[in-house]
Amino acid sequence: MDREIVERAARIAHLDLTADELDRYEKDLTEILDHFQMLDEIPGEDTEGFTPVPVEDVLRDDVPSSEIPPEELLRDMRTYDGYVRGPKLS
Amino acid sequence: MTSLPDLKAVNDRYRMFVSFTDAEECDGEFVFSAKDNLTTRDFPSTAGSRILEGYRPPFDATPVARMREAGGFLAGKTNMDEFGFGTFSANSAFGIPLNPYDRERSCGGSSGGAACAAAVLEDHVALGVSTGGSIVCPASFCGVYGIAPTYGRVSRYGLIDYANSLDKVGILSAKAGDLAKYLPAISGKDPKDPTSCAQPGEIGTPKKVGSVAVPSEAVQGLSKGVMESFERALESLRSMGIDVETVDMPVLRYAMPAYYVLATSEASTNLARFCGMRYGQQDGDLTLGFDDYFTSFRSKYFGDEAKRRILLGTFTRMVGYADRYYSKALRVRASVISEYKKVYSRFDAVATPTMPFVSPRFDEIAGMSALDVYKADFLTIPPNLTGMPHLSVPCGYSDGMPVGLMLTADHWREDLLLGTALEWEKGFDMRKPEVMA
Repeated sequence: MDREIVERAARIAHLDLTADELDRYEKDLTEILDHFQMLDEIPGEDTEGFTPVPVEDVLRDDVPSSEIPPEELLRDMRTYDGYVRGPKLS
Repeated sequence: MTSLPDLKAVNDRYRMFVSFTDAEECDGEFVFSAKDNLTTRDFPSTAGSRILEGYRPPFDATPVARMREAGGFLAGKTNMDEFGFGTFSANSAFGIPLNPYDRERSCGGSSGGAACAAAVLEDHVALGVSTGGSIVCPASFCGVYGIAPTYGRVSRYGLIDYANSLDKVGILSAKAGDLAKYLPAISGKDPKDPTSCAQPGEIGTPKKVGSVAVPSEAVQGLSKGVMESFERALESLRSMGIDVETVDMPVLRYAMPAYYVLATSEASTNLARFCGMRYGQQDGDLTLGFDDYFTSFRSKYFGDEAKRRILLGTFTRMVGYADRYYSKALRVRASVISEYKKVYSRFDAVATPTMPFVSPRFDEIAGMSALDVYKADFLTIPPNLTGMPHLSVPCGYSDGMPVGLMLTADHWREDLLLGTALEWEKGFDMRKPEVMA
């Protein structure tokens, strides 16, 4: 894993890494991925299940509901006039 | 009402809690703690991360709510590796819990605070969470019992996720009977977590296994002390009337890389929600643009191991690499499940040591590379990758430090693990740590 790919992954993940962090993660991830090459030795099964046991969809009725009052959810957020405040969109 | 111990004094010595009650009496039938990645109404929930500092959820996680319904009094939240990212509980933003048998050593991770509380406090039941071994590893290092149930047995509603397809809530205690009593109490379907709704029924009446398989791959790379304790444990199983036989499970060696690919892939998407707007820390500069705000916030507050795993998981899902890593890991998981199922056609359970060594000293941990730490999980990862229930029982001591025996059973067969633990407890001479020496 070269430095360019580490920087690309960091950009996608919204992480701004220092030069020291880039050096460290490049070394660590290279060592880790070298080890993971052993996955090439095994074909694996044809199935790609996303969970280790079967799961089923559970859908509730399509009606509005909330066990938690919105004002409680907003309690710990920065708000303005009942809206959550966020950074500029530009 | 019964008196609570002086939690401040205990915590000053062992640092197992991130937050705890100041009550002097227990307003319940029993006392329990919750790992700090389970949301609670009356305590902050930080998952060991600076990015969630100050977060006070307005609701209880389902397992916490069910413990309260069973009569439990929540005494506090236990320390852990940030978001569960670790094997030694050394990756918390809020200090490191200390092993009650030797405070120079780790409690194990990532439910290290939970295991420490279970070992140190009398009659204490600890809720833990396992993704790759985070219940049985600390149970082993702290000399207590710990069970991680089948994936989906216990609702994950209110759990601050590490990896959706791997996370499981379970129990740690110094008494096997507590596992048998309280695991059923927190289990069962919960419409708020669809993955809990596929379970075939309740946990059956505990019953001892009749036979166990020991994979030859699992007894390689063990420390001498662990190997000796494990061999004595197998003799004890035989004396309990359990057949013990060695088998080959060559696919187990691929479980570790498959696990870390899946776990970090899922973690890298789960942690995208932490952007400084809804939970915990929100002191970012709102005059910044969208991307710059999120990036500055995440870069400032995520810890070192969290960043490493986010990077790894982002990479393994990137265009051009996802087939080689993420898709392949899904197929390898299916292979490991098939291998276990073949073994269960002949045996009731699989037995291995829980960890390949006793709890290391903190100076030894500091000298380990990230890959060294990941490799240390090679015994606990296979049952976690496959979502199979597994349990650690204390099985001996090496140089005064506890050693764990791990049993893994087929999906939904917690009854076999609990029954065996109850029998094991009758014949095992358990040592208590010198808790307030």
